[in-house]
Amino acid sequence: MKNASAPPGVLRARNVCKVVHTAEGELAILDGVDFDAAAGESVAVVGASGSGKTTLLGMLAGLDLPTAGDIWLDGDEITALSEEARARVRGRCIGFVFQTFQLIESLTAVENVMLPTELRGNGGAREDARSFLQRVGLGQRMTHYPRQLSGGEQQRVAIARAFASRPKVLFADEPTGNLDTGTGRRIIELLFKLNRESGATLVLVTHDEALAERCDRTVTLDAGRVVA
Amino acid sequence: MSPGLVLRLAARDWRAGELRLLLAAIVVAVGAVTAISLFVDRLQQALLSESTTFLGADRVVRSTRAIPEAFRNAARENGLRQTDAVSFPSMLFADESEDARNLLVAVKAVGPGYPLRGALRVADEPFGLDGPTSEVPGRGEAWLDSRVFPALGIALGDSVSVGYADLRIAGVLTAEPDRGSVFDLGPRLLMRVEDVPATGLIQPGSRVSYRLLLAGAEEDLAATKAAIEADLAPNYVWRGIKDANPSIGEALDRAESFLLLGGLLAVVLAGVAVALGAHRYARRHYDHVGVLKTLGATPGEVQWGYAGILGVIGMAGVSVGLALGGVAHLGMVSALQAFLPVALPAAGPRPLVVGSITGLVCLLAFALPPLIALRDVSPMRVLRRDIAGGASMALTYGCAVAGTLGLLVWYAGNAWLTMWALIGAVGVCGGFAAMALVLLRGGRAAGMQAGSAWRLALAGLQRRHRENVAQITIFGLAIMLLLVLLLIRTALIDEWRAQLPEDAPNHFLMNVAHGEAAPVQALLREHTDYDGHLFPMIRGRIVAVNGEDADVWEAEHRRGMEERLRSERNLTWADELPAGNELAAGAWWPADSEEALISLEDEYAEQFGLSVGDELRFDIGGLPVTARIANLRHVQWDSLQPNFFIIFSRAGLAPFPTTHMTSFRLAPERKRFLNELLSAHPTITVIEVDAIVKQVQRIIARVTQAIELVLALVLGAGALVLVASIQASHEARMQEHALVRALGGTMKLIAGALTVEFAVLGAFAGLVAAVGAEVTALVLQTQVFELSYDAHPWVWATGPAVGAALITLVGGLGAGKLVRSPPALVLREI
Repeated sequence: MKNASAPPGVLRARNVCKVVHTAEGELAILDGVDFDAAAGESVAVVGASGSGKTTLLGMLAGLDLPTAGDIWLDGDEITALSEEARARVRGRCIGFVFQTFQLIESLTAVENVMLPTELRGNGGAREDARSFLQRVGLGQRMTHYPRQLSGGEQQRVAIARAFASRPKVLFADEPTGNLDTGTGRRIIELLFKLNRESGATLVLVTHDEALAERCDRTVTLDAGRVVA
Repeated sequence: MSPGLVLRLAARDWRAGELRLLLAAIVVAVGAVTAISLFVDRLQQALLSESTTFLGADRVVRSTRAIPEAFRNAARENGLRQTDAVSFPSMLFADESEDARNLLVAVKAVGPGYPLRGALRVADEPFGLDGPTSEVPGRGEAWLDSRVFPALGIALGDSVSVGYADLRIAGVLTAEPDRGSVFDLGPRLLMRVEDVPATGLIQPGSRVSYRLLLAGAEEDLAATKAAIEADLAPNYVWRGIKDANPSIGEALDRAESFLLLGGLLAVVLAGVAVALGAHRYARRHYDHVGVLKTLGATPGEVQWGYAGILGVIGMAGVSVGLALGGVAHLGMVSALQAFLPVALPAAGPRPLVVGSITGLVCLLAFALPPLIALRDVSPMRVLRRDIAGGASMALTYGCAVAGTLGLLVWYAGNAWLTMWALIGAVGVCGGFAAMALVLLRGGRAAGMQAGSAWRLALAGLQRRHRENVAQITIFGLAIMLLLVLLLIRTALIDEWRAQLPEDAPNHFLMNVAHGEAAPVQALLREHTDYDGHLFPMIRGRIVAVNGEDADVWEAEHRRGMEERLRSERNLTWADELPAGNELAAGAWWPADSEEALISLEDEYAEQFGLSVGDELRFDIGGLPVTARIANLRHVQWDSLQPNFFIIFSRAGLAPFPTTHMTSFRLAPERKRFLNELLSAHPTITVIEVDAIVKQVQRIIARVTQAIELVLALVLGAGALVLVASIQASHEARMQEHALVRALGGTMKLIAGALTVEFAVLGAFAGLVAAVGAEVTALVLQTQVFELSYDAHPWVWATGPAVGAALITLVGGLGAGKLVRSPPALVLREI
């Protein structure tokens, strides 16, 4: 459900808090975070381990709900939606690249890439997936299973899958965290290239300052708060 | 998710091997249940048809009145085979001279085709070796019991008179399937029913028993019964094998209960295998679902998608399972053909329905909950793997218990058996888990003192204690079910063997005069292993109850149709309660009691509404005797020992001269001794029950075989559960051991640790199983099978040993390849 009074920008979060209950009492993982991203913009989220980067990413992508605060994604106030409705928003407008690749082990490379198109019920999933795999340089590895691919190759399949859903917003969680420097650099080049071509908004969580500098803007978190 | 996508996902999961364990479990569940049901169905039909030989028919209509033509017509219209048997006592005369020797015989006049089930047996000479025949006597002919020949001094081919009819002696009859009471009035004479009018013996008031024998398909028998039911009471009785022969009926009932119990255990074991398969599948799909959800799959789509995949696998599993069950049962039949002397009739459709519904319930109750629960897996799992997902334990176990209950009640149609089986199988789970936890803790403490393989194994067991408690519980349950089945089977078979031991008496001697007692006993001791007791005996009838005429009392109180209160009965006296009898009410009299007291068989008393304290007047040889009922006894009629409905105190029968009776065992090759015995003591009566004893023993041997077969089948199902359970926990175990190897652990260390781990798991499971089995067998034996119970010390030693050996073997076979593979490959494959 599109909200006519939605604020401008593809992604906006206001006063987002996430509190969890632990044995030692309540722990605020996110504490009043505001966040904005315009269409086509690339934003890096940086911070120390445990600063709340990944939690914020999950909230912005609608994977989890904050304890308090509001988030709008592509005109929808996802914090007011059920999991069912949030899933539809995710299917419609986001793509994901993970540190641990998150390919489905029982599916071949091409089947992993086909999945978003198939879930939308659109036709031509196989052709589409093939073309994306060609674009990430895995034309020869279409029918390989994830465990038959190297880490870099697996991440390229994940990138192909992320762009196959033609996302408005691409979320990337430490996309080079599990790769060596050379492979990581090539993956980043590929990610930025495809992102430029698609015109998607990119939200990238990383420890890597050089990588963060390639983005249009950097948001720094510390102990659950935005500090820069 | 579109049906096409569901099918594609199912196909991809299948290709990747994800669905194989689940499919195998469903196939095993459906296959085992179908195979057991098919086999049991056919075996039951065969056993029942074998047992009907005791009745000479599938059903009998019996009365003291002639069978109405309407009954015959109803049987004919329903396509049943039928024939007649008319029984009455009569004097048999050897020739027509004035001083002709005579004897009271029990005449049975039969129609062509008699008997409809089983066969008559005849010998070439009196007391000669016999064989079956499909003939009946011809018109104008009679076949006689062996003992009539020496008693009347006649031979084959001679002529005898029955009433006004002269009959030629054409055969020596040694056995008939529906002999009924062995204490009939005198020996048997078999003749044709068409010759009965010529005897002129059936007059109004004659003591005649009419029987219409019927045989055919169950549904035709039921239709016939329905057609004549309204006209049966109060003069006609419709009987099947279970009414006609309580001892065979009881053996069949117990065997059916056992086969059913075996089938139930197969269902439970298969259900556990399905649940394990589904859990493993679901667990491996948490990440998968997390990814699907980030890609936009809604919880509803996940739920229906996985339900759809389960549906596809379920349909495939049920189809393959039914086919496999059919093939397996054919294999069983052909493998055992040599041991099954009867041809098995074709099975009905029920086993296939049972198999299909079992598959369906297994899917819904065991497999669906963990898969449905995938809908609640958080998409955040893609970012943080520590976020738990999956099924609520309460929902999973609740559904499994409800499904098992429903399946058991439906399958068994026996609430008692189901309840006790459930108490045994499910009720002890909590206890098992607690015991397993204690054992694991204790094992850890002990392991710290031991070598490194032990330390590694026991630390692993302790670390994954939650999974291991569950696994010990499942192993324990499977081993317990097998032990229970083994214990019950042993108890049942022992009970049957004890009832009819190889040396059970197979001949009765009656009418032994007081003066003859010593010489007859001496003769028996000389020629047989006789070590028996002589029972005094005299015939008499009840004429009044509490001062009221017996006929009047009977009209008011009679509940059965079989016996008459006024019928002449064998009476005896005793100082002590005879062996094999149990007091049901009242108290036994002191040996020196001077009061005329009687003890009645409990069912006999119930039939005529008699109870302790009632006063009965007897007519014994024309003299009246009045005695008070002091107690009721329960009699084990199938013991083949001399048993009496009515026993007096010594004082009650003291004024009367009695004859004596006894029983002894005679081997078939020594039967000619009877000629010698009867020539020396022509007035005594020999009753041969060896044919009946042999027949009962044969049926019990057959039932025993069936039980052992089902036991073997359930053992197979149990082994499969063990395999599924070990497989389900394989990955966590292997990952740990691969890490240890990567850190420098040798193959020997890993193999040793795995062996110790499996052996300890198995031994603990065996120990908890022994506890559970002992308790469950106690309850089942005493409450369901009504057998006595003794503890089984061997189970306590065997349970842990067998458990350890079994789990080590099965687990070792599965782990062997991974132990030998390079650790990097193992870590990557998992």
